[in-house]
Amino acid sequence: MVGPIYIIVIALGIAFTLGLLGKASKSAGWVFVLAGLAAMTFISAQWLVALLEGSIQGIQIFTAGYKPPYSISLQMGLEEAILTTLINSLGLLSLLYLGKEMVQKGVEILMVFMVFIMSMNVTIMTRDIFNLFVFLEIETIALSGLILLIGRKTAFQAGIKYLIISGIASGLLLIGIILAYSHVGTLDINGIASANNGLFRIAPIAGFLILISFIIELKPFPANGWGIDVYSASHPGIGALISGASATTGLYLLYKVLPVAGEEYLYFITLIGAITFIGSNLTGTAQSQPNRLLGYSSIGQVGLVTMILGLQPILGDRTLYLAFTIIISHYAAKAGLFWISGMVNSSSIKDWSILRKKPLLLVLFGAFILALIGFPPFPSFNGKWEILMKLGESNQYHWIAVILAGSFIEAIYLIKWLGYAIKLDEPVENQSNFHLTKQIPVWIMGLVLFGMGYYLNPFTHYAEAINYIPLLFALLLFAIDFLPVSIKNTITIAGLAYYFMLLWPAVEGDLLRQIFLVMFLGGGILTLLAGYSKKGKRPGFYSMAILMYAGLAGLLTAKGMYDFFFSWEVMTAGSYFLIIRGKRSLPHAYSYMLFSIGGAYLILGGFAIAAASLNGTSLSALSMVTVLPTWVYALIAVGFMTKTASLGLHIWLPGAHGEAESDVSPMVSAILLKAGVFGLLLLFISIGATNPHSQEIWYVLGWIGAITTLMGNMSAAFQEDAKRLLAYSSIAQLGYILFAFSMMTHIGWLAGFTYTINHFLFKAILFLIIGAIVVKLGTHNMYEMGGMIKKMPFSFIAVLISIIVIGGIPPLSGFAGKWLFYNAILEKGWYFQGALIFFAGIIAFLYLFKLIFSVFLGQVKDNHRNMKEISAWVLIPSYILIIGIMLFSAFPKDVLTPISEMIMPYFTSETLVWDGTKAMTSMGYWDGSTIMIVVGTAFMLLLGWLIVLSAKAQKVEQFNIVYAAERPFRPETTHVSHNIYAGYKKAIGFLVSPVITVFWDQASTFVLDFAGWIRRIYSGSIQNYAIHVIFYIVVFYLISLGGL
Amino acid sequence: MDYSISKFLFTLLGLFIVLNWGMLMSSTMRRINARVSGRIGIPWYQPWIDLVKLYSMRSQLSHGTMFYLGPVFRLMGGVGLFLFMPMIYGSQYFMNYSFSGDLILILYFQFFGMLGMALGAGEGGHPYSAIGISRGLSQFTTIEVPMTLAVISLAIQYHTFSISDIVAAQQGSILNWTVFTNPLATIAAMLSLLGAFGHSPFNLVRAPNEIPLGPPTEYHGSFLGVLRTNGAILHVTEAALFMNLFFGGATSWIELIIKTFFIYFWSVFVGTVFPRFRIEQSVVWFLKWPTIIGIFSIILFM
Amino acid sequence: MEQVIIITGILLIILGIFGIIRSRNLVKIVLAFTLFNTGLNILMISIGYIRNAGAPILSQIPGQGEIPNIVDPVPQALVLTAIVIGLGVTALMLAYVLKLYQDKGTLDINSFKDLKW
Repeated sequence: MVGPIYIIVIALGIAFTLGLLGKASKSAGWVFVLAGLAAMTFISAQWLVALLEGSIQGIQIFTAGYKPPYSISLQMGLEEAILTTLINSLGLLSLLYLGKEMVQKGVEILMVFMVFIMSMNVTIMTRDIFNLFVFLEIETIALSGLILLIGRKTAFQAGIKYLIISGIASGLLLIGIILAYSHVGTLDINGIASANNGLFRIAPIAGFLILISFIIELKPFPANGWGIDVYSASHPGIGALISGASATTGLYLLYKVLPVAGEEYLYFITLIGAITFIGSNLTGTAQSQPNRLLGYSSIGQVGLVTMILGLQPILGDRTLYLAFTIIISHYAAKAGLFWISGMVNSSSIKDWSILRKKPLLLVLFGAFILALIGFPPFPSFNGKWEILMKLGESNQYHWIAVILAGSFIEAIYLIKWLGYAIKLDEPVENQSNFHLTKQIPVWIMGLVLFGMGYYLNPFTHYAEAINYIPLLFALLLFAIDFLPVSIKNTITIAGLAYYFMLLWPAVEGDLLRQIFLVMFLGGGILTLLAGYSKKGKRPGFYSMAILMYAGLAGLLTAKGMYDFFFSWEVMTAGSYFLIIRGKRSLPHAYSYMLFSIGGAYLILGGFAIAAASLNGTSLSALSMVTVLPTWVYALIAVGFMTKTASLGLHIWLPGAHGEAESDVSPMVSAILLKAGVFGLLLLFISIGATNPHSQEIWYVLGWIGAITTLMGNMSAAFQEDAKRLLAYSSIAQLGYILFAFSMMTHIGWLAGFTYTINHFLFKAILFLIIGAIVVKLGTHNMYEMGGMIKKMPFSFIAVLISIIVIGGIPPLSGFAGKWLFYNAILEKGWYFQGALIFFAGIIAFLYLFKLIFSVFLGQVKDNHRNMKEISAWVLIPSYILIIGIMLFSAFPKDVLTPISEMIMPYFTSETLVWDGTKAMTSMGYWDGSTIMIVVGTAFMLLLGWLIVLSAKAQKVEQFNIVYAAERPFRPETTHVSHNIYAGYKKAIGFLVSPVITVFWDQASTFVLDFAGWIRRIYSGSIQNYAIHVIFYIVVFYLISLGGL
Repeated sequence: MDYSISKFLFTLLGLFIVLNWGMLMSSTMRRINARVSGRIGIPWYQPWIDLVKLYSMRSQLSHGTMFYLGPVFRLMGGVGLFLFMPMIYGSQYFMNYSFSGDLILILYFQFFGMLGMALGAGEGGHPYSAIGISRGLSQFTTIEVPMTLAVISLAIQYHTFSISDIVAAQQGSILNWTVFTNPLATIAAMLSLLGAFGHSPFNLVRAPNEIPLGPPTEYHGSFLGVLRTNGAILHVTEAALFMNLFFGGATSWIELIIKTFFIYFWSVFVGTVFPRFRIEQSVVWFLKWPTIIGIFSIILFM
Repeated sequence: MEQVIIITGILLIILGIFGIIRSRNLVKIVLAFTLFNTGLNILMISIGYIRNAGAPILSQIPGQGEIPNIVDPVPQALVLTAIVIGLGVTALMLAYVLKLYQDKGTLDINSFKDLKW
């Protein structure tokens, strides 16, 4: 085993030798340093491996054979081994990345670089506080040197700010050290700490000064203008080091000196971390310069880890592990992001669209962003989950709120950035340089991120249930992304089919999950069939589709909250990437993602509070919530309602569904929305019908459902865009479903299931067909279509059947839903909500007519005269679904009876009884099969009669209409479609004035303006920053005096 | 459930009676209307003449399949309502096929014909058709609001959706009629009926002097004949629905004829007195007093 | 006497910080920073000082005999190190000042606000 001292020896030796080498052989020096860093990495890594295996114990060594303070004491335990490995390997990769620049600048910078890495190693390993100070200063000097040597001109300004502020901070540290020493008589950190815990307390000011100087080094918000300047001005290669290595080291140092200050400072640390986490991320939202943005994000993440360190009393012996999950995600992601930023080499995040030329980098970029936000399968996901659960168990709700709020704010700008890279036009001019030596480090960091996600999972005991096979399958699909669509489509369908067969036994005997499994995966296969009509390669599509479906399926197999939430996030990520594929989807996918993340965090918050009163985190245990049950239920319900797009949380849906690709729309509308429904169902089942804590919730949800339905249908009637019309219709249908399930009665749930199944069937058909037509006709606007019935008869029939179902017209299955609704409402006594629902149901006819009339009837446009029927690949799944509708309509009993039995246990009485094919409640009766027969027979008779009467009816040409003897040759003026409900709009259109959209717009404007206002404190003046730091110290000193 | 031939034949007989009574009623109403405006009006047999003429016209033009099917859907709507409506209380045969479903089936089956007609007229491609339909749908959404409230009120009152049961509950005395036991619901529903029958002030859908005839603009010959046939059936059947719900139903055809006459007359009476509303006016009108009355009718029974 | 030194140290520190915050000229800021450092060093020495004790490097004072106790050597060693580090930092700062001056031709601190927000 090579001793840790050799890390320092090698570093110093190389640094000095470089001076001897002279300027002659620049690249030789570079290779030399590279080898040295590799050796250092090797030393720390071998300690890490050995310590992890448990084959050796950590050691403490003393230089020169003396005890401190006459010698330096270095410690190499597991923590030190991990951190030095991280730092040395990052140094190695950075050097590789910076290769060209370094070689150009000469050997001096290599020396400084080596000293920089070495100093961090020492600060991590040393147990002597003065030694810590010395090497902290060396680190500062070396970093300033690096900034000076390899940076733009603005970097000089940043460098001197950094020097001055850290000079002040280290001055305070010195005072703290000397005060501590004069009281305790030792410089050993453990010695000071044990003295502190023992007989006498060191001067409080000493502990405070030591602590605050390390905190200042961590750049706490808002006294961190200088730090952000350093991030934004220095070379991205250096930025990666500051963010990945320097910040990591700083956090560890804070952890190391915490015992010196004493436990009473822990709350204080948490507070500082919280302020930084929220404040820095909030300020970041207004930022558009990539490096600076990364700086804000880095500081925010550091704030989060600081919080975790401060929460030690709650997190217990998991503290370090949890901090590590965040740190490692941040380490890999931020290093990767800075490096990519260096390659993109632009001052605006909008130019990152250039990344599309490098698909692998783009994928890694996405992975880094998601890792920072805390998506699975990255370590930060596990970390955040466990932290929140532990906080919940200790009833620390305010900290839960802080972590979730901060994470959400971070997502605001990170997701925006990701969207820009995926969607914006490529910049006209760019100075990007994707040299291979620059790409390799990024790839490695990507591997580290994924690898750590996999490796760290066993450390989270509930993570065992996670099934990684679908994720690997997604990866496989990405690997074969170069193949044409038809092959990938087949593989994907086969994969889904196999997964379906695999999961079916797992849900055997559980009808609820069986229904949703059929909808999720069966529906997935059907909608994928339409993919055969697509041309080209559709890069990335299939991986993301698999991710979404894997997430959806995971929801069904989840036993605990953890795997449920894991799947939920996987599904969210997958669907986001699907939605953003549409041509104009950027803003809509963005708001979809923000609402989804916000909703997910509410669910997480609910789970965390629920964890307080549960033993374990099993899903079924949700029914035994005793702490704040109403809050738990409300939070989780609202979280799910972001997915079901209930009123107030719906504004993302029209754009997201309307602008998505033609076969993505049915996926996200007919299938994905049902995930929210499934979540709500699980929640409602857990709560139970008679739970006293949730009656108000259901009452409120009922009203929300009713109003959502009304608003959705009315808005749909006023749309001119065919797909948006369908999207608003989805909002309304989900309102029905929410309303039905909120009734919490047996028959209400039957209505809910009927609506759920129906919506799945008809919305898939409509979006498939209308989506294909929109693509084919090249316009979203219905008034630019018309007369397609003659060109696309099969599409017309499918759409006709669908709208008959939506309208609830007998004899098709939609009527079953209406009938159940009437009975349920009367039984429940929700008369006025019910009246609203029925009013909405009739308004639906406005948009249904508009849709089918404007597209298929009326006058065909000149440019559409040669249209043909849409692709058979779209019609086949549609007609399979129509068979479903017809079966459900003719044999409602066979579907409703099993569901009725399934939900029986949750309710006191069964209210629907069957007599043959006739359904009966205490109120009324309905016989779907007889209606089919009666209507069918009568219809055929009447049709026969008309055929007898007008057998010789003669087909006429277009425009041959009764038009005052004129022939209106312009279809545009004859096809009345645009704004046909003008009168209606004039009368009650004010009901759907977009107050909610305006509300959210203003909320987001407010956040951005607020962020813009806050960041004005970063005036750019060194002196202001110094004042901030001093104020910060004074204020927190006062707080520590008063509050602790 | 009786699917026998005799049942079928009796139902056909009932349909025949309803059709002829519907035509007679419409010519009578037109005569009344004419007298109010100082004209003599048409002879009472004019509808039959019209019908024969329409059915025997030789020129038949079709704009396409949906155009062709539109009248079939429309007539199916009327006939279907008739089939699912118990016409004569206590008569085994003239209960028709009401065992298939209750009041809710009737309410939603109305849309069957409307939708089919709208689609058929839509394929006709005439702008006036589309305008008429958009007006009709707009107006219909709000017509249904007081009606729905009244139906809910009735369902709370009688605790059933079965029309036969509602009629049964009103037997015995005239004071048992819903109009006396639940006057608010009756008022709301009768105001809603004004819109449903489409006479002035709510006749903007067909608006003879703006968009001549509205949705059926393109229909002629036997297509129009089918539509006229349906109109006659529909008027009687809808009036019979109100009769069943609010005015004690009918135990014989005579009673049915008298009651449906007065129910229909109510809309004609209002129509001759009031001028036409524009669409935004009628929409708002239905959401005001009729809706408020409907809400109170529920509150009283909650 | 010790109090005077402590107060001097604290005064120098405050003066240094004040200078860093108030000066317009970059060189003056660097000078203020060295004042701050000097104050720190004085403060450190005075805290480690023990009354009536001799310098740690001497075992006896000529003419006065054995020294009964010596001042703790550690703070003094620390100060030595701190001075060295302060030197390095100051030198680096001056290097920065030079670069900044070359960049903009001025030493006015207000000219260097390119990085903000």
